[in-house]
Amino acid sequence: MNAQLDNPPETAVLELPPEVVKLAIKDLTFFYGQKQALFDVSVSFAANAVTALIGPSGCGKSTLLRVLNRMYSLYPGQRAQGQVLLDGEDMLSPRVDVATLRARVGMVFQKPTPFPMSIFDNVAYGVKLYEKLSKADMANRVEDSLRRAALWDEVKDKLKESGLSLSGGQQQRLCVARGIAVKPEILLLDEPASALDPISTARLEETIAELKRDYTIVIVTHNMGQAARLSDHTGFMYLGKLIEFGETEQLFTNPVTTRARDYITGRFG
Amino acid sequence: MTAIGAPRLSRRIGEGAFLAFCWLATGIALLALAAILWSLLTQGIGGLDLNIFTKSTPAPGSEGGLLNAILGSLMMCVVAMIGAVFIGVLAGTWLSEFARDSHYGKVIRFLNDVLLSAPSILVGLFIYTIIVAPLKGFSGFAGSVALALIAAPVITRTTEDVLRLQPIALREASVALGAPVWSTILTVIWKAAQGGMLTGALLAFARISGETAPLLFTALNNQFLSLDMTKPTANLPVVIFNFALSAYDDWRRLAWAGALLIAATVLTVTVVARILAREQRRS
Amino acid sequence: MDHTLKAVDTDLEALSHAVAAMGDLAVAQVRAAVDVFVRHDLPAAEKVVRADNAVDIQDIEIERNAVRFIALRQPMADDLRRPIAAMKIAMQLERCGDLAKNIAKRVPRLTAGTTEAQADIIAELGRMASERLAAVINAYRNDDAQGAYNVWLKDTDIDERHDSVVREIVAGMAAAPDAMGDAIHLLFIAKNLERIGDHATNVAELVHYQITGTDLSNRPKL
Repeated sequence: MNAQLDNPPETAVLELPPEVVKLAIKDLTFFYGQKQALFDVSVSFAANAVTALIGPSGCGKSTLLRVLNRMYSLYPGQRAQGQVLLDGEDMLSPRVDVATLRARVGMVFQKPTPFPMSIFDNVAYGVKLYEKLSKADMANRVEDSLRRAALWDEVKDKLKESGLSLSGGQQQRLCVARGIAVKPEILLLDEPASALDPISTARLEETIAELKRDYTIVIVTHNMGQAARLSDHTGFMYLGKLIEFGETEQLFTNPVTTRARDYITGRFG
Repeated sequence: MTAIGAPRLSRRIGEGAFLAFCWLATGIALLALAAILWSLLTQGIGGLDLNIFTKSTPAPGSEGGLLNAILGSLMMCVVAMIGAVFIGVLAGTWLSEFARDSHYGKVIRFLNDVLLSAPSILVGLFIYTIIVAPLKGFSGFAGSVALALIAAPVITRTTEDVLRLQPIALREASVALGAPVWSTILTVIWKAAQGGMLTGALLAFARISGETAPLLFTALNNQFLSLDMTKPTANLPVVIFNFALSAYDDWRRLAWAGALLIAATVLTVTVVARILAREQRRS
Repeated sequence: MDHTLKAVDTDLEALSHAVAAMGDLAVAQVRAAVDVFVRHDLPAAEKVVRADNAVDIQDIEIERNAVRFIALRQPMADDLRRPIAAMKIAMQLERCGDLAKNIAKRVPRLTAGTTEAQADIIAELGRMASERLAAVINAYRNDDAQGAYNVWLKDTDIDERHDSVVREIVAGMAAAPDAMGDAIHLLFIAKNLERIGDHATNVAELVHYQITGTDLSNRPKL
């Protein structure tokens, strides 16, 4: 009767029903030069849901994120094999234009990275790369993005001021606004709250929870409470492998694999 | 008590002595600087009048100023800076953004550092050999090229340094929005580093504005006011060099005034550069 | 348990230890209540009533420590199930203590009209109830999901025994209508023992949940 307890599986990856899948990763391996960082990762992310990736430092969760928008292709020597299917289309195919891919898959980084320009221009920067908007349309787009990122009320009177003049939490929400201004389908967040205080973190989390309605969100976090609060699905990675992936509630109340349990309860790995 | 007290005493003596030496060394350096500035000021201020800026270098015994030399120096420095900024900024950008860990980049970086500390008289001789001698004539342009050759490594180095200070995440954030790398560098990275890059350029300007040796072999001198940089061109350092060694009192007075002028310019530019650098760090 | 933060282990061990000790005390109370009933020992019955206080205090203590553990250590998965289960088990044990106290309280009110046979069958029921409770506490102490599962499966034994006890007492009522008051007390005592058995079943479910994370209560019994 206690088969799980007596003989827990090494890995346990939940298969999502195909109709909810936005992004499907198939047999993904990744190399930093000679060093392999991901081993045959296969997992799907659901549309209009938050998926959290957790795991100890160096487990490959950030690497996985950086494959999804092909950020790695900036650096010679880094290469990925396998498939990343966005609505069924392989994003790792050389035929896919990287800039177009990145417009569809936005990313927010660990440290806030406002550009050295005004708040308005920060948000407009990405939009200008793809669209020729009239002044009024651009103003609307900027306002809409800032509203979605829950920053509008705080900055509406100082859009001309430098993005660097904002607080850390505001800067990070500015980066979120900048990311969603180009209307991506997927938003990747790489430990977006690790440099923020608890109140800014709570605001950012509320923003993410709101954004879920329109976007597919993948968040890498060291903070398990954050993963538990925010996400619908959680994946646990260890040494470049996906060990367990499932409903967040299940993973945090009753993980199937010993490694996932040991990690989320803070036992020796 | 003594067991603890004795080593503590010797340690305090050692510390006090070391501190005293540091003070002494700093004092000597500052004293030398003060002496230079003081003699410049006392000797140079007397010759500093309106004529300096309105009249060209005179024949011995007649009245004159430094207008041709000031103008010549300014023209050469500006032309040199245009070339040096163009080369230095692009080279520094290449080193920082495209050749950070490559072997080729390391070699270029090393050579740039060698050039950075090359004696300026060598640069002068080099330009003499490849430009002045073949074209059979000294010229302001040759002087500009020599000065640019001195300024470019400085700008290359400072540009690379300030660009490297910009976080990787800033580049990736722009690229993640779909921006190409070149426009990321142009619109984001250069903009973030502009204060530091300007500081580097100003320091390079300060460096070349007092150089004499490379100009002796290239621009030479010109007694008359001329805007033609294809001919020998007057300039402050060489005028100072010539006049200071002369037997005429009024020439020597002009040399002092010119030296004070250069010192004041270098000081001002350096102070401005420091302030800009501090502003950059603050933001 | 080997948590990286050692204090988590210390806290969890202390919590489990307290629950097991409370279980032992509850078992002892049930046994003592049945014993004073059988021997009709009034001073001892008084002691059993007073000893229930200790059970109540332990319940409060366990709840406080469990809440504190959750708040300070922010546990996940089985680490979270343990304090939750501890709180709920303590509540069940506290109820068992109350029922034992209630039995002891009824002892002085019995006017010695209990027949030997009635005393025997109630003593047997009491033995079954206290053994069940002791078995499930043992399973808790040893993190033995299988042991808890076994206790949970066998909860029909006590119900059947209780039914036969009730039949016996009701038959006695008809035979000796004067002892009606005593008979009603006997019915309550039997009912209390049967309910202790139910609580033991609940504890078995909680022990199983704590260890495996799966719920037994909705599962059909084989």
